[in-house]
Amino acid sequence: MMSMADIQIALPLLILAIGALITLICGAIGRKQTTGYLIAVIAAVGAGLWSMQTPPALLAPGLGLSASGLTRLFSAYFCFMAAAVLLFSHSYNRYRDIAGEEYPATILFATFGMVALASATNLLLLFLGLEAMTFGFYILAAIDREQDVSSEAGLKYLLMGALSAAFLAFGIGLLYCVRGSLGISEIMQTTLAATVRDPIALAGWGCLLIGMAFKLSLVPAHLWTPDVYEAAPPPVVAFLSGGSKAAAVLLMVVLLVHVAELGTLRVPLFGLALLSMLVGNMAALRQNRVRRMLAYSSIAQMGYGVVALVSIQGHGLQAAAFYAIGYGIMSLAAFGAIGVLEANGCGAELDDYRGRGFTQPVASGALAISLFALAGIPPTVGFTGKFLIFAAAIRTGENALAILGILTAAVSIYYYLRLVAALYLQRGAAEQTESISINDTVLLALSCVLIILLGIFPAQLLDFLKIQLL
Amino acid sequence: MEQTLFYILAIVTVIATILAITEKHPVHAIIYLVTSFFALAVVFYLLAAPLIAVFEVIIYAGAVMVLFMFVIMMLDQGNPEEARCPLLVHCLPALVLAGIILAALLLLLSGRSTPVAPIGGGSEKRLLDVADFAITLFKKYGVAIEIISMQLLFAIVGVLYLGRRRKP
Repeated sequence: MMSMADIQIALPLLILAIGALITLICGAIGRKQTTGYLIAVIAAVGAGLWSMQTPPALLAPGLGLSASGLTRLFSAYFCFMAAAVLLFSHSYNRYRDIAGEEYPATILFATFGMVALASATNLLLLFLGLEAMTFGFYILAAIDREQDVSSEAGLKYLLMGALSAAFLAFGIGLLYCVRGSLGISEIMQTTLAATVRDPIALAGWGCLLIGMAFKLSLVPAHLWTPDVYEAAPPPVVAFLSGGSKAAAVLLMVVLLVHVAELGTLRVPLFGLALLSMLVGNMAALRQNRVRRMLAYSSIAQMGYGVVALVSIQGHGLQAAAFYAIGYGIMSLAAFGAIGVLEANGCGAELDDYRGRGFTQPVASGALAISLFALAGIPPTVGFTGKFLIFAAAIRTGENALAILGILTAAVSIYYYLRLVAALYLQRGAAEQTESISINDTVLLALSCVLIILLGIFPAQLLDFLKIQLL
Repeated sequence: MEQTLFYILAIVTVIATILAITEKHPVHAIIYLVTSFFALAVVFYLLAAPLIAVFEVIIYAGAVMVLFMFVIMMLDQGNPEEARCPLLVHCLPALVLAGIILAALLLLLSGRSTPVAPIGGGSEKRLLDVADFAITLFKKYGVAIEIISMQLLFAIVGVLYLGRRRKP
């Protein structure tokens, strides 16, 4: 039987699931587009608000769900992110003529997966949450049916995603073989100690890392990223990098919080971080299409995230969780702004962005602030996050990674600022006035304020994370 | 005996799966996949889980594979009019694999002892029945079932949306 406490802990999941179902049903009954979005936003905000309150218990053992501080923080983050993405999508989808209640329902379903992942206490729920989320993104990546590239990107994502899901499931199966239990803490303590030389445990971790490398789009499992980033609608891309990747980082944090040191995982994670930072930043330098450039930059950014995971002894997990949230807000602002610009007739090439800063000040301003943040320029969350990561790396003694990370971050400033320069320092051909809806303006302003606020006052979030990740 | 049987069946599964992914003709590939599922079903039986064995046969080898066959028929990828009566050489690997599985199954069914599994970590050993299975599935992993059911629902939603005809 479910007790009252169980229901309270499971309620964010229930709200999201029921919200998605109601959205689908309303689409079948009503004719108005806006109703579906409205219901979905209400469900997402409701679930987010519910997960912010203090729960009656930290654990619902009968359900295998937790309601720890970390769970609630990330649940609320995913829900609010979904609400913001839905609001951005509303005007963009009208421009692209993406109709149907499937879109808001699928966003809610992907959020459902993320929240399930955040509240999981065993590897089975963790895997199912991750796959439910990715499943939503298979649909969302291909949602723009009028474009051929969109279905191509969706198919590419689906095939590689299915492969990575197989690796993840097999890895979890092998870890289950070693311990005979799916509980996260038990598995982590028995399979990752430095003394463990069990080949099955090692194979399990290998498979798990391959699957996670795909979800985080780390080199060498990054090939889907540029295509999906280029073809999917910008709000979906914002959700992909702000939600899906944050969820994948959270999964690694939730696993690694149970061990004191990485043991055998250190070398593969070191390699993934190194390759992602190098390849991502170098490839981004050569891109002329804005969304492709941001895709490669996101590969590099996730590389920094893995540096934080490697630096586990120097409080790296806090830095990773902080960076996941910070990066999510940055990409929400960046891709939200790109969505607004594209709806105003801006093309995909860097040259199309020339002079937009004068004709479309709001969206360009938000894009510029988020690019400064992504580049890691001081009063922003990007700087604070990178500072925390490299500090953790140096505390742990991963000097090589820290130095390489700082160098590649310096290189990355070039391509971020190239876009800012195109926006403000060059004159464009088209003279056009900006048409931007009120909720887009408010959301862009809000995310820019958050970028700067979290950059200047990170202490509260960091203290919270420090308590949760002791 | 169980261990020997397991290794034989494991080899059969691996060979059948490799043949399934290397076979060029889609219908042949499906037949090999069915072979592999049957071998897996017997492995599950050896693990004292007859219910899972039955599921494996009914759902995977039965329903899912029939669905695959129908899809191939509807897409007309099998080219039935071009197919000739297969030579014995083509049938041989499938026949050998099926023969091994059948022999294993007969051996198991004729044996007096059925495989048993320890229940609940204690010394009590018995066959896993439907009740054990259902209690574990819906009590311990109830949330997981709900997540999977949502996933299946959205699989349908996604297929219906993406499969819709484009505007001309």
